[in-house]
Amino acid sequence: METVSATDWRHCLNKVPEATLSFWIIKILSTTVGETGADFLAVNAGWGQNVTRGVMGALLALALFLQLRGKRLAPWAYWLTVVLVSIVGTQITDLLTDGWGISLYVSTAVFAVLLIAIFAVWYRIEGTLSINAVNTRRREWFYWSAILCTFALGTAAGDLATEALNLGFVLGVAIFGILIGLAWLAWRLRCHAVLTFWIAYILSRPFGASLGDLLTQAREYGGLGMGAMWTSGLFLASIVLLVAMQQRDFATSNAFEAVE
Amino acid sequence: MPIRFSSSRRLTGRLLVLALGCVAVLSGCSKPAASTEHAAAAATSAAPASRHVASALGDLASFRHISAEVSSLVDRGNLPAAKTRIRDLEIAWDSAEAGLKPRAPADWHQLDKAIDRALETLRADTPVQQASHAAMQNLLKTFDMLQGQA
Repeated sequence: METVSATDWRHCLNKVPEATLSFWIIKILSTTVGETGADFLAVNAGWGQNVTRGVMGALLALALFLQLRGKRLAPWAYWLTVVLVSIVGTQITDLLTDGWGISLYVSTAVFAVLLIAIFAVWYRIEGTLSINAVNTRRREWFYWSAILCTFALGTAAGDLATEALNLGFVLGVAIFGILIGLAWLAWRLRCHAVLTFWIAYILSRPFGASLGDLLTQAREYGGLGMGAMWTSGLFLASIVLLVAMQQRDFATSNAFEAVE
Repeated sequence: MPIRFSSSRRLTGRLLVLALGCVAVLSGCSKPAASTEHAAAAATSAAPASRHVASALGDLASFRHISAEVSSLVDRGNLPAAKTRIRDLEIAWDSAEAGLKPRAPADWHQLDKAIDRALETLRADTPVQQASHAAMQNLLKTFDMLQGQA
């Protein structure tokens, strides 16, 4: 009895959501919305890259503050942070590539090494990389650093696939989709759960970007021609709905705990 | 607990179907718009006629068309109007990136750099006509070179 309640306590203090189907859908959709949103502000709204970077960086700091400050998981704060990490992670890679002319081979390698280093330090200090026990301030910092790094790495690796392999978005959706499917299969076959989670997390960045391109790009380029505005609107509405559902589920489970 | 989870999961599934339906409808709706756009692009590319060969990037006529307009505005000394018009090029070029770039990344980067330089000179605090003229000539030359090589 003692042990059960102890794990329950730990579990409810976990500040990140479980990796369910809706978790992955929201994650992929927020990747796309993050990218088109930042692009819209920089180009269509005419803010320019520097202003957009500054504003997004400040918003991320604010969202991260809200996420870290809370004592429990609040889905809206968590997903707001993910969307902003997605934007900033993409902007970091774009700045390195377009602004400083750093080769995508170099940035992909550097982010991969950096991510491995974060995991190594995380594991060394905490003895676990479990995403079901992100329950201390330090683990939260490890978690969010790793997330930021996966977005930067996912962007660089995805762009590298476009540049080096001439991989268009149609093939991109297929290939990254299959790779995510393989990660899912490995997870079903009880391969390392933490490892498969992070691999899928990295892959879902280029997958989300290709999916977004498939919907937004004109038909003459092989897209569905929905345009950036409709796609972002549809995705944003889906995100809000799914997060609202998580928020509701979460409120219900909290109510259950209170009754018990 | 398991009941709540599965109901939420079923709901997620339903939403997914709904979203796919929306995609189907929206992409269906955009069909006439896309084809008229395409027809317009074809019309503009037909006008300057036969010397335009499609580059490895495909048909660049609509981008070149805007650039030529910007260039003639620059030559007439109307830099503010040129600055306004080149925004259309920036937006069109940016939104076509995912479609164009994989076709020929090196060519795409070459054009992207030339467009960036033109944007920079026209958006300088005090744009200089000579520099803008040079940037636009370089951009048009880049278009022609890429269209000539295919």
